[in-house]
Amino acid sequence: MTSIAEDDLQIELPAGARARKFDDQNVHGLSHCMKAVDFIVDLDDRTYYIEFKDPQHPASQPKDREKFIRQFLSGQIDTDLKTKYRDSFLYEWGSARASKPIYYLVLIGADVLSGADLLARTDSLKRQLPVDGPDGKQWKQNFIAGCAVMNLAAWNRSLPSFPASRLSA
Amino acid sequence: MSKITHIKLENFTSFASLNEDFSPGVNVIIGANGTGKTHLLKVLYAACAVTTGEDKEKGFARKLLGVFNPYESRMTRLIRRQQGLPAAHIAVKRDDGSLIKTVIDNQKADVKDVRVIGEGKWQTTGLEAAYIPVKEMLAHAPGFLSTASKREIAFEEVYVDIIKRAFLPKLMGPIDHDRQRLLNALQKAIDGKVVAKGEYFFLKNKQGDLEFTLLAEGMRKLALVWLLIQNGTLLAGSVLFWDEPEANLNPSLMGEVVEVILELQRLGVQVFLSTHNYVLLKEFDLRKKKDDAIRYISMFRDESGAVSANASDDYSGIDPNAIAATFNKLYDQELVRSLGGIKA
Repeated sequence: MTSIAEDDLQIELPAGARARKFDDQNVHGLSHCMKAVDFIVDLDDRTYYIEFKDPQHPASQPKDREKFIRQFLSGQIDTDLKTKYRDSFLYEWGSARASKPIYYLVLIGADVLSGADLLARTDSLKRQLPVDGPDGKQWKQNFIAGCAVMNLAAWNRSLPSFPASRLSA
Repeated sequence: MSKITHIKLENFTSFASLNEDFSPGVNVIIGANGTGKTHLLKVLYAACAVTTGEDKEKGFARKLLGVFNPYESRMTRLIRRQQGLPAAHIAVKRDDGSLIKTVIDNQKADVKDVRVIGEGKWQTTGLEAAYIPVKEMLAHAPGFLSTASKREIAFEEVYVDIIKRAFLPKLMGPIDHDRQRLLNALQKAIDGKVVAKGEYFFLKNKQGDLEFTLLAEGMRKLALVWLLIQNGTLLAGSVLFWDEPEANLNPSLMGEVVEVILELQRLGVQVFLSTHNYVLLKEFDLRKKKDDAIRYISMFRDESGAVSANASDDYSGIDPNAIAATFNKLYDQELVRSLGGIKA
């Protein structure tokens, strides 16, 4: 697989990256009780858990876009993002596949979100996962190395070797 | 009742040339420090203030002197500093066609020599205005007016004016539904009503009377707005100038402040405010309804160092947006930290 896609969003992967569609009932098998991030991408020295949210999908309704933006700005989305990560981690840990540092990357397809909005959600997600262990110290076991909530522009600035784009563009 | 529609400033303080149309509703002025946001508010306020009360006699030139308070009362100090020191020009227009103009000549420092054109016609229709400065003043009201009148303190006149307006008695007659709703919303936010005893203000609620010096400064500002609505300063056709409403206010209260400003605008109050605050800007964007009139005016310094402005009736069209740019920078720094281990 050289690229992964969900709705209208696509990420191209560099050579050597191995991607699995994780949020897939046929593969996951426990979706009645565990939530799942969309994709897990393995590299030699780290793992990315990738979640796509695409309110600006060309076929989406204005009403649904507005609802998503409201949920995003108010922080209601944080619980969903947090649960997806924790359940996915637990699933992978139980399957003995959580040995490398894991980064949680959330790609939001919404141009209207500003740096301030994305910063607020990134901060909140860091607190809720939480990225830091007790007393603000690092977790002793491998739990999470970092997380970020990004739109397409921020993603491409931070991860230039994993270019993200719209399929419809 | 008329609205301010336009201002033209030439060689005045930090402005080389500013030509700006205003919204009859809310005008939100943003820009980095030193781009003249407060100067713009003060000029417009002076133009409104001279249409009513004792300032009518004072006239525009003297009011400008009072609100800017330049060193040694020299009007020439309000001219933009540059070689040759050309005269400063100010022109303010209203939607009834009236226009007030003034010229500050570099040879005439004395306010008596400052020419004002169109003042007579300008003053035929009153434009009630209130200017809320950044520093809260009600707690300092006792003795302030008498000290200021003796010229023992060098405060800009906007501080004196706002205390005078706060002291105005409650408007007689029944309070209409919309105004009562606004007062109720503010009472909820400040948890009480404001009462004046002599020159002292108190917040009155179930616990008793709390003097203003014991109140959080942000609360005092909201209490002031409550007073201005209650005493009829802020009625339809009036103008509210509010310099940095966010000062000393917890962001959680910002939504209520924006709601009050939008409600005032819906009642027919024209509003000019300056801000450095992202939450305030965003609250306007999120709470704005279809018929609300909001204009964002972004002030910035061009390559020559002179202040210019861009206007937009839409939040996303603000350019440059110094506030959002700061958050973008912080966000990028956070991304570098959060994803620092990634060698992309």
